[in-house]
Amino acid sequence: MLRKYFTYLLLFFALMIVAVAKAQTAIVEFTDYKVENKLKVDTTLLNLIKPYADSVNKTMNRVIGFSLNGLTKRQPESVLGNFMSDCMKTMAEKKFGRKVDIAFVNYGGIRYYIPKGEITVGKIFELMPFDNLIVLQELSGKIVQQFLDKMAERDGWPVSGLRMAIKNKKAINVFIDDKPLDENVTYIVANTDYIANGGDDCGMLRGIEQINKGYLFREALMEYIMLLSKQGKSIDSKTDNRIVYAN
Amino acid sequence: MQIDRRKFVKQTAMTGAALIASTVVPDNLFAESEFERLTILHTNDVHSRLEPFPMDGSKNAGLGGVAARAELINKIRRETENVLLLDAGDIFQGTPYFNLYKGEPEIKAMSMMQYDAATMGNHDFDAGIENFATQIKHANFPILICNYNFTNTAMEYKFSPYKIYQKGKIKIGVFGVGIELKGLVAENLFDKTIYEEPIEKANQTADHLKKNNCDMIICLSHLGDKYQDNKVSDEILAKQCYDIDLIIGGHTHRFFDAPKVYRNRKGGDTVVNQVGWGGIQLGRLDYSFARTGKKKFFEAHSFVIGKKIRE
Repeated sequence: MLRKYFTYLLLFFALMIVAVAKAQTAIVEFTDYKVENKLKVDTTLLNLIKPYADSVNKTMNRVIGFSLNGLTKRQPESVLGNFMSDCMKTMAEKKFGRKVDIAFVNYGGIRYYIPKGEITVGKIFELMPFDNLIVLQELSGKIVQQFLDKMAERDGWPVSGLRMAIKNKKAINVFIDDKPLDENVTYIVANTDYIANGGDDCGMLRGIEQINKGYLFREALMEYIMLLSKQGKSIDSKTDNRIVYAN
Repeated sequence: MQIDRRKFVKQTAMTGAALIASTVVPDNLFAESEFERLTILHTNDVHSRLEPFPMDGSKNAGLGGVAARAELINKIRRETENVLLLDAGDIFQGTPYFNLYKGEPEIKAMSMMQYDAATMGNHDFDAGIENFATQIKHANFPILICNYNFTNTAMEYKFSPYKIYQKGKIKIGVFGVGIELKGLVAENLFDKTIYEEPIEKANQTADHLKKNNCDMIICLSHLGDKYQDNKVSDEILAKQCYDIDLIIGGHTHRFFDAPKVYRNRKGGDTVVNQVGWGGIQLGRLDYSFARTGKKKFFEAHSFVIGKKIRE
């Protein structure tokens, strides 16, 4: 052990001589500190963030609505999924000031559930932590069919404005606004920017022009819930067989 | 100790320079006049993490937060004279603080901690370029970036490509490079910002700093440390640069076990480091410079000599 130590020491001094002779030396030592809160912390910074923290907590704890039953997600269709996709369609129409034919929510983007009882802003942040924006695209019926097939392959996503069946991982019997899907008709489709940019293997949507007003889906959910509360309604939805398995 | 030595011997083989655990480095190895120290402290991808991670049993619980970071920084500043505190971007986004305050407390906290410079990450555009330009009014440190052309945007007169610092006997040039925004950030958020080829701009800027007699050149990069494909990264920049001594990286949220050392086009060493994300870690690099010849006093040709044992 001691001999090893001296070998290293010798090696080191040999190196230093070479280094100094070469006259181009910077020795670098490194430390990666874990930033721990065990010890004393800086009170100036604590004081700086306190008013913001108080306000953030106040905001997160603010009750914006009430849920009678608690809503959870399921495939091919669920109460929570219908609630969220109906919200997207309604709020997109409000925000963009035009009719929206179909709205989709990617199933994997739903990160929590809506529990029974009082619903706080913080709960909606947990449900939708991503800063996904609602965007509109004008899609041909042909592209819509491709997108629905992808969705069918993944056992169905929350959707509003459309009903269909899934058979052999394909979308069949598709009705939009109670009319059969027409490959030659252009539909106004709401999605999150994540999906519209081709995320989650939805490459068929990539490159198609988007209408974007910087409107967060999370903001839409909160505004929708507050609208319901204003009307004296609780957060609720039901399944209505918009997506069914045909086999 | 054993582990450190083993790692150190491995690095030796890699860099061609023999290394040794730093505990045996005597402080008086050089005479005072031939010797200068510089301490670089750095963060990246803090993502609005003003408070520590919540105590929810997860592995980062209780770590981070500006109050603990400031305490650590102050302690280091009391112990050592020449300190540069730097950030490699993505200051914004990730906690409700950002959703509510759009980055104001983040920038104020960094100003209070006396950051010397920061560069921009893609998420710093998340509330729009106008918002970033508004929030940096609270900054007492410069935003450095050399490969975004901000002409006709809100950032036009609110950044610098580089800044030169004098710390003791050392003159240090610091500049920034940013990642391609298209595809990563919605176009309405970055407005008319033009992304310029980072390797070329970095080399031009570093060359300019070298000609201005900087002893050491540091690049704050939000390119990401490395990728599977040939997308431009810190690794590629390190290998294709001439004069950059140190790249403080970000974007890929990587916790490095140790700084990486690459051979640059001049045959010198370019060191790359990155400390994960969320302010979980504070990176520290201690440089000891030796006199180099009669005219030029210092030049950073780095020997990374392993992990400093502290406390």
